[in-house]
Amino acid sequence: MRFRFAVRVMAIGLAGAALGLAWNAVSGRGFALGANVMIKQGDEVVPVAQARVRIEAGALALDARPVDFYAMQHIPGALSLPEDDFEAAFLRLEKRLRASSDVLVYCAGFGCEASHMVSRKLKERGIPAAILEEGWPAWQDAGYPVKAGSEP
Amino acid sequence: MIRPSRKVVEWALGLLLGAVFIYASVEKIWKPADFARIVYHYQLIGPGREVGPLPANLLAVTLPWIELLVGLLLASGLWRREAAAVAALMLVVFLGAVGSALWRGIDIENCGCFSVSGKGRQAGIQLIAGDLALLGAAVVLARPRARHTIDDTRP
Repeated sequence: MRFRFAVRVMAIGLAGAALGLAWNAVSGRGFALGANVMIKQGDEVVPVAQARVRIEAGALALDARPVDFYAMQHIPGALSLPEDDFEAAFLRLEKRLRASSDVLVYCAGFGCEASHMVSRKLKERGIPAAILEEGWPAWQDAGYPVKAGSEP
Repeated sequence: MIRPSRKVVEWALGLLLGAVFIYASVEKIWKPADFARIVYHYQLIGPGREVGPLPANLLAVTLPWIELLVGLLLASGLWRREAAAVAALMLVVFLGAVGSALWRGIDIENCGCFSVSGKGRQAGIQLIAGDLALLGAAVVLARPRARHTIDDTRP
């Protein structure tokens, strides 16, 4: 009886998993299992070392995290363009953004999608913007300079 | 012997819990990529520096169908104990995920419980309480039905 119970429990799990995989393959609503769903076609994702080179060469960094996080610490020179307050912040920064030839957006890391969203919103407005891979934690862990306070 | 009152209670609990699981699965099945995005937000099984997106994607693709299957079984009464055990297992995992997100200070705006688009339920104490109630129901349903079956005399 216990054995049958365990077998059935596993059968439910396996059948569900099989249905899920099949649905993902044939329904047309699925996605590539090896790819990050946050990254869409056309997104430019840049590793941290390359991002630093570009920023030092004059690229404009944008912090897409909520403004409180920016005030705690940010990449030196980065401007705050929070995803949760995009429209207002964009109006403030539009001139600077349009004058920059290279723009890089970052947010709070792998689980964070704010940088992707800001990058796409900028692209819709005609401003190409790359995304810093793994965002702020990658920058911090690499030991690159950081700055506290609400000034860039 | 099973008393009729227990039978009724099991039937009602199964229907209730089953309905919750079926409802929870629908939007995730319809929008798997949006659900994957929510799994990422938990930052438990990647994608991260060491793990690629595959484990999180596999979870996002398979979990909703296990939920649907469990919901259908619970509601119909077929394999009810086994389905309830799987439900309890899933709820323990959900509780662990939400608890760990709260513990690590990760702000999960949408827990991915029922809705995957826009603002869903925030992962917080209320959600944990709700999950615990469902877990209670699942445990009740997963209990062995009668204590005096022949199999229980086995070592």
